[in-house]
Amino acid sequence: MNNWRRIDIDAYDEDVVHETDLYDPDPRDPATVANDAKQKATQVRSLISRGDIPAALAAVLTDAPYGSQFEDAKNVSLSAVLLILNSTKSTDIPGIVKGLSQDEQDTLMKYLYKGMASQGTEVNGSVLLGWHEKLTEVAGTGCIVRVMTDRRTV
Amino acid sequence: MSAPEIYPLATVPITSHAFSADRSQVAVSFNSEEAQILTRQGPEWIPIETLAEHDKVITSIDWAPKTNRIVTCSQDRNAYVWTETPNPVTGEIKWKPTLVLLRINRAATYVRWSPFEDKFAVASGARAIAICSFESDNDWWVAKHLKKPIRSTVLSVEWHPNNVLLAAGSADMKARVLSAYIKDVDKRPSGTVWGEKLPFNTLCGEYSSPNGGWVHSVGFSPSGDVLAFASHDSCVTIVYPGPTPSIFTVKMNSLPYVTLTWTAEDTLVAAGHDCHPMLFQADSSGWKAVGSLDDVTGSSKSASGFSSPSTPSFPGRSSTPVGRLNNEAFNRFRNADSRGTSGSAALQAGLGGGASGPDGELLTVHQNTITSVRPYDYAPDGTVAKVTTTGVDGKLVVWAVSATPGSLAGKLGSVHLRH
Repeated sequence: MNNWRRIDIDAYDEDVVHETDLYDPDPRDPATVANDAKQKATQVRSLISRGDIPAALAAVLTDAPYGSQFEDAKNVSLSAVLLILNSTKSTDIPGIVKGLSQDEQDTLMKYLYKGMASQGTEVNGSVLLGWHEKLTEVAGTGCIVRVMTDRRTV
Repeated sequence: MSAPEIYPLATVPITSHAFSADRSQVAVSFNSEEAQILTRQGPEWIPIETLAEHDKVITSIDWAPKTNRIVTCSQDRNAYVWTETPNPVTGEIKWKPTLVLLRINRAATYVRWSPFEDKFAVASGARAIAICSFESDNDWWVAKHLKKPIRSTVLSVEWHPNNVLLAAGSADMKARVLSAYIKDVDKRPSGTVWGEKLPFNTLCGEYSSPNGGWVHSVGFSPSGDVLAFASHDSCVTIVYPGPTPSIFTVKMNSLPYVTLTWTAEDTLVAAGHDCHPMLFQADSSGWKAVGSLDDVTGSSKSASGFSSPSTPSFPGRSSTPVGRLNNEAFNRFRNADSRGTSGSAALQAGLGGGASGPDGELLTVHQNTITSVRPYDYAPDGTVAKVTTTGVDGKLVVWAVSATPGSLAGKLGSVHLRH
């Protein structure tokens, strides 16, 4: 392509809408968030080994990092969530999903879609679809719509 | 609880509707550049006049009850004020348009008369709201623009009862309260909960949607002291302004609402992609959805397994749980593809909700998205007793608003209602 294609025309537009205009960015410091995410991942592993899936899920879904400046923390959190999802018995899923608060359900749905979009070895499609089905039964289509509209991507 | 009055006006979408003051006539637009005036004849609505002046789709209509004037706005970036004028020769009374100088460079999306009917507000895709008032010197309507701090298309507006404040819902995910004070028209307003001094374009409040959905619809409570808005993240948000505003959010499990109207100081009706109007009510613990105006349990009796206790279901939902493949819809599409059989309007509607009954019809009265809900009839105490809805399925429906959650809870019976 020619050079003019590479010109950032938005830089010349006074009225341009920035990503930060669309949502309030996470005020936390990236380094702290990355640390928190790692600590939570460790915590999650120990909770899973004790079989306390609801507590593990609650830990990782609370204050989940979002926004463009936390890529590391977001990836660590996704791995932690996937670890939880993969180590849950499918018969336990409905009960766990019902126990989550509405915000936690929305955040979990975000991770499910992020998991489906990523291609890591830890991603198991059928597990994600199983969780998705159960979560949709409880939280409805509204939950999916909220994931689609929310710019605070995990 | 009386049954809703259902009038199938067309097989095409109804973009907007507005009743005359005595409710004997209704102005509707069937997703075209013309508006129709329909008059009631027994159980039917008969077209009596066509308002043809726009050259693109009409997006919104409003009918001023006291001054009997209609305003229409359209994607052609124009608005017209229509007045009934006698023909000088024949004496026949016809609706005659007056052009409004909107000065916007994008489509007009929404129009509403102010309570005193001396101004109207036109929302537009030009990141602006045109506040139009009549200039008698020149005999035309002029517009003044509310621009800041709107960042995107304005999808809806609603006037505060004091004729000065205006609420606006916008695609930049925010609902705002702005002052639309016009010096030559308005008397200086007394202070409200939204602010004391209100020169033109004062921003009195700005509220984000909870999960980044664009704001479809806004509404002031009858007193004007509370603002509600519905956004595309399936949320209804109610704002009580003040030094520290208290904000209530109701997150729904269903598809988003696109239109809402207050019926009393503590109740409102919202409707949208879920195809049935939902009643919201405040109690001591906050706001919640108390039930649907659409008696979906009654009409669903023929649908087997609709409210089986083991599967969670809610109004407008079929026997197929959400998240599962809807075989009903799947088979209809397969038949349409392989055999060329065409479905009804419900076929398209079934796409969104997946809530079709045995015959492929939705279990709700409306067979597709409801695009507009408006007050229709008032109770002696001033609350709204009936509302009307129109939607993409071409139906006009008059609903009784039941403000007593007890009777609704009884009516809904076994239906799980979660929010």
